[in-house]
Amino acid sequence: MSGGLNRALAICRKEWRVALDTPLGYVVAIAFFLASGFFFANNLFLIGQADMREYFSVMPLLLMFFIPAMSMRSIADEQRSGTFELMVTMPVRTTDIVVGKFLALMLQISVLMMMTLFYPFILSLLGNIDAGQVAAAYLAILLLAACYISICLYASSLTDHAIIAYVVGFGILLGLFLVMQTLPTFSPAVQNLLTYLMPLSHYQSMLRGVIALGDLCSLLAVTVLFLSLAWFQLERRRWR
Amino acid sequence: MIQVKQLSRKYGEQFAVENLSFHVRKGEVMGLLGPNGAGKSTTMKMLTCFLPPSSGEASIDGVSLQDSLTLRRKLGYLPENAPSYSDIDVYSHLKFVGAMHGLADATLVDRIEEMNQACGLTHVMYRRIDELSKGFRQRVGLAASMLHDPDCLIFDEPTTGLDPNQIVEIRQLIRRLGKKKTVLLSSHLLAEVEAVCDRMMIIDHGELQVIGTAEELSRQAHGGALIHVTFKMLPERVFDLLKEKAPEVEVTERAVEPYHGYVIHHADPEFPLAEELFHAAVACEAVILEMRSEQASLEDVFRKLTGAGQ
Repeated sequence: MSGGLNRALAICRKEWRVALDTPLGYVVAIAFFLASGFFFANNLFLIGQADMREYFSVMPLLLMFFIPAMSMRSIADEQRSGTFELMVTMPVRTTDIVVGKFLALMLQISVLMMMTLFYPFILSLLGNIDAGQVAAAYLAILLLAACYISICLYASSLTDHAIIAYVVGFGILLGLFLVMQTLPTFSPAVQNLLTYLMPLSHYQSMLRGVIALGDLCSLLAVTVLFLSLAWFQLERRRWR
Repeated sequence: MIQVKQLSRKYGEQFAVENLSFHVRKGEVMGLLGPNGAGKSTTMKMLTCFLPPSSGEASIDGVSLQDSLTLRRKLGYLPENAPSYSDIDVYSHLKFVGAMHGLADATLVDRIEEMNQACGLTHVMYRRIDELSKGFRQRVGLAASMLHDPDCLIFDEPTTGLDPNQIVEIRQLIRRLGKKKTVLLSSHLLAEVEAVCDRMMIIDHGELQVIGTAEELSRQAHGGALIHVTFKMLPERVFDLLKEKAPEVEVTERAVEPYHGYVIHHADPEFPLAEELFHAAVACEAVILEMRSEQASLEDVFRKLTGAGQ
């Protein structure tokens, strides 16, 4: 078991190294800061509000663009370049590969989010902010990012081409977003079901500052579901 | 030791490999030859647990393909085109491969240094792999496959893209490895297989055509004994005498001006054709200027068995 964990961590370290050594990682990081900085500054200077609710409400939109870009190469490139064959003929389980890739992307998004802690720090200098609510919002954004990463990892496992992986990942996330936007058009029963199933509704629920076990479990369940689908896809690719 | 029994792999209804059986002993280098699409890479992918067989069984040092994780620990594999992580440097790549094989950090540093010496990677150790020539990438792939000191090595075209000097070095390395380990390699270069391998097998359309040493393959290709002979004068009675001893001998003339050349064939490869011909020539006082038994080259064997010569 610890051997499996060590191998997952070795994959995570390698992915982190690749992210540091390639321009794509930096391009994504810079673009993320420009976009998130714009939404933060817009709220603070143009609207004149010293809170982060608006900022956190647009964060899912940013993640919808950036997480597919960060994860599109993760598995697709390995399959295209032949390193997937190299990796799976070493003593490593498919589970270790999926977990290693997931941890690497979580690490990258966590580092990006840690750097945005600068924004609540500035707000705390200007006025009182609800630290508990901000902490809950950061936890919510990390859990939502975990969901999105697992969805995009699954998209990356479907193809050998990074661009197709981006389009598929972005398409699924856009679909989930549009379902949330059109929620009022559904019947109450369907609305209840979709509210229960959609990661975004649990995210919005956590933004209120309440960490409900149901929200946590739902977001984690979606993450595990798509990681399992990615695992299944990789196994199926080998065994077909 | 690699043991393969009735191994088959189907893609849809088409057999890529069909009922393949062979074994490779410890301390032996086995060459796998065959035209494109013969099933060489598929065989290797099955032995390395990348593809599951449709039927049949294979084991390495007694560990079955079913026990995939244990089997992969015993294996070093260089896939075709030596894929490696092109975005990172050679050292990071080797470190990653070592970690995946569960090598401890201290051991890993020593092993990387050993592989550095064996594969000549000193000057490129801290360069990104995508900046390297194809030959160096091949060497990185070889180093990665041997890093954990496995008992069994499987190389899919190990010298592709190397220059002549590098080819000689890598062949020497494989021969050295072959004294202690079990090595299975595929190659398009017949001379390479002849130079490096103790035994070889030829597969075509997924089926084993022939297996053995170069001499055994050559004999099987001719399907008998073959001798080239040149007489100074016309050997009037020599062949009559020879045919009294062996009626099934076939004699064909060949042009060797101003002398008299013949090619003599006997269906039984064990028949002492040269000896009998010599006795017949002595009895007839015919002067032999040249006599040599001919072996088919590996190229002839390959062409004959894979249908290209027909």
